[in-house]
Formats: sequence, structure tokens, C-alpha cells
Amino acid sequence: MRLFRLTTATLFRRKSWVVCAFCVGVLPFLLVQISSGTENPALLKPALAQATWAMTLLTSIFWGFYTAARQGESNARSGLGEYFLTTGVSAGRQLFEMWLAIFTYLAPLPLISAAICTLAASPALPDERSMWLATNIQYAILFLVVMAPLVALACAVASRLGSITGFMASSALAIYGLYGVGYLKLLGDLEGNALAKWVWTSSPHYHFADPTERLRYKLGAIAWDKFPLLLAYFGGIMLVYVALSRLVFRARAAA
Amino acid sequence: MNLQSPQLKLKAGLTIGYGKPIASAAEDIVLGGGTHFLIARNGRGKTTLLRTLSKTLKQVDGAFEARGKTQYLPEDLRFDPEITVSGIFRAMLPSSRFQDSINLATSLELDVRKPYGKLSTGNRRKTHLIMAEHSVDPDKGNILLLDEPFSGLDAYAREIFENIWRSSSEKVLRLVSCHPDYDSMGMPSAIVIQGSGIRHTTGSEQTWSELKQQLN
Repeated sequence: MRLFRLTTATLFRRKSWVVCAFCVGVLPFLLVQISSGTENPALLKPALAQATWAMTLLTSIFWGFYTAARQGESNARSGLGEYFLTTGVSAGRQLFEMWLAIFTYLAPLPLISAAICTLAASPALPDERSMWLATNIQYAILFLVVMAPLVALACAVASRLGSITGFMASSALAIYGLYGVGYLKLLGDLEGNALAKWVWTSSPHYHFADPTERLRYKLGAIAWDKFPLLLAYFGGIMLVYVALSRLVFRARAAA
Repeated sequence: MNLQSPQLKLKAGLTIGYGKPIASAAEDIVLGGGTHFLIARNGRGKTTLLRTLSKTLKQVDGAFEARGKTQYLPEDLRFDPEITVSGIFRAMLPSSRFQDSINLATSLELDVRKPYGKLSTGNRRKTHLIMAEHSVDPDKGNILLLDEPFSGLDAYAREIFENIWRSSSEKVLRLVSCHPDYDSMGMPSAIVIQGSGIRHTTGSEQTWSELKQQLN
């Protein structure tokens, strides 16, 4: 696990994780001060929940994918990937160790979000509170399942095509899955166009993993009997992206 | 030969290159533990041979056998500029070897608290070499393929590393590509890439001064 330790130590030294921790742990409390929650106290808690999860999402995309892309490119171009290859660390193992190191920093973010929502933005009524807790736990899990393969993909694409391409690939997929898919349904004539319908169906529907609407309008947790289906859906996407990442990843730049 | 001893065997006909042949071994070349130099003019295949032997580049033709734990230290290896030298050692080395690596760095006047990005070229080389030397597995044979490890390294540091190499020559086979900067440098065992041929030349009195004539 030398590459894991090296990547973890490198990320720690870069200190940009402090900005992430600030964005997720502190910034939401400041952002609600400029929201409509200051005029209507009933909106304060939903605003805090929305800001917290939005910050987690933005931080994961901008910091997580960028870091993954930078590490993937650097490993291939710095000679480190080649060094590790010669010591018996396969390309797949290198991708895994870098992914694990980045995920070590990324995984606490949804947990912090869930904790803030539970401790600082929980509804007063006991029934609503337990529903709130369940919703946050569900979305923390979904968030991790969605982000994990996108981090690997950013790293893999960057190792072959450079960090900008790696970052853009994962960010574009995440943003498309969160918002673009919805717009496609709104704007496209899905029933009348077989191609548009196929594109929509085969798109990653990451909006299912976005908790903000449910939390803002207190729609309640996803039914526990439906939750495994969602996990299986995102697990399937994860398998596809993991396989793709392994195919694309290379440990050293082309000669 | 002891089963734990490292060995590299380049079989006759081994041809190296990036798709197109650059050079090939005319006869079997067998290297055991100790230091072997790899010399050739620029662009004649030193790095290509090292990459081939480290199995990150496929040979064009022929075969070779490597026995031992291999490490290839590329010439252009670099770590993240932010990480410190001690951070590199802590991440890359077994905990039992960490203090030894710090002691060696101190004796080489390498500031282990300094970020890698602020080190001079020579001090970066020292970092790479200390890492590679302390990654050697003491319980089995090792093969260290070092690409231009002396570039930017001062004579004092070079002497210290050559002493380490001598003391561990039984367990470690080192193939070192270099362009020596003084004629009297001893090269008792050298792989020479001359024209399109790879050959092995030995002699206890052999020096760079004699060998460089063959490269012209």
C-alpha cells in the first residue's frame, strides 16, 4: 500500500482538504445568513440542509474530481507509475490505491453533511426527526456509491488524456446525471423520438441521489424496501465505470 | 549459485526498441550480484534496455530472465512538490527502515523536512536513491535498474552510495546507466551498447577511459 500512503501524505501536505472541510463544515452556516431563512425562521433549517448538501456536492466535484485527475496524470507522467509497475504493483492496483487515498478524504464529507443536518437542522417533531435522520443516512450512502466510481474515472481518464480531460469527464457526467437528465426529459420529445428515449434511459440518473428536494420539502425518506433497488442501480453504474476506468487507466505515459 | 542471489540473463538475440529494433545482444549475457554499468552514447538504447529489463516495455525480439525483486528508477522520476523528503520515506519505506533512511539522508546533508519541490537536482537524486536502496528486500535477491542516478550528484554523495553498493553486492544486482565525468572511474563490469550491438565487457582494471574509446 505504498502508493496509498504516498498519495494520502501528499494530499495532506497540499492542505486543500482544509478548504473542503471549511466548505462543508462551516460555510453552510454562513450561507444561511444570506438566505430567506433570515426573514422567515421556519426556512432556516431547510436552508441549512440544502446549503450543506450543495456544498458537499460542489466540493466533491471541484476538489474530489480535480484531485483525482491531478493524481492520475501525475502518476503516469512523473515516472512513479512506472516505478511501481516494476516493483510488482499492477496498473489496476495503482488505480485502486490512489482512489482509496482520495476517497479517504472524500468519504467524510457526506458524513459531515448528515451530521450537520441531523444535529443542527433536524425538525422538532419526533416522527419527522426519525424520518430526517433516515433520509440523511440514505443520501450519505447514495452519495458515496455515486461519487466512488466517478473519482476512479477522473483518475483513469487523466492518466491517459491529461488532468483537464479527466476532471471534465467526471464533472460533466455528474452534472448531466444530476440536472441534464431532467432537462432532457423536459425539453426532448421522449415518446416521439426513440433515440432521445434511449439516451434518457441509459443516462446515469444521479438526481435520484440528490437529497435536497426531499430535505427541503420534508418529503420523507426513501421507502426501505425501495432503497436496495436504488443501491443496485447505482451499483450497476459503478461496475460499468470501474471496468471502464481500469481499461482506460495507464500507469505510465506513452513513450 | 545461491538461490537467493539475483541474476539477469540476456539471451542471445534479445532485441530492444520501441517497435523498431535499436540494438540486440549478440551472445548470452549473464549478470550476477554487484554493480554493472550500462554505457552508450545518447539515444542508443540505455533507457530502452532498462525499461525492457524492468518489464515496462516489451522487447522487440528474443528473451531474458530476471531473478530477484526488481526496481527500476527512471531518470525523470519525481514526487509531488509539496511532500517532504521524510514524508516520502515514511510512505515508501517499511517502518523498520525509516530511521536508517533518515540517518543516511543526514549524512548526505539532505534536509528531510524540506518539500521535494524545493530540493536541488542532486538532492532529488539522493532522495530517489535512498528510497530505492532502503526498499531492497534483505531476505532475497534484488535487481536495481538505475537510470542516470549520478546526474547532478556530488562526488561525496556518489562515494557514499558506491560504498553502500559494495557492501551489499551479494544480494543486490545493480545495473547503472551513466555518463561518467572522470576518466579513471573503474568499471569492472559494463554492458556496452555500441552501434546495434549489446555486449558485456569485464576486467578488474577496466576504466571509463578505455571503454569510452569503444563508443566513438
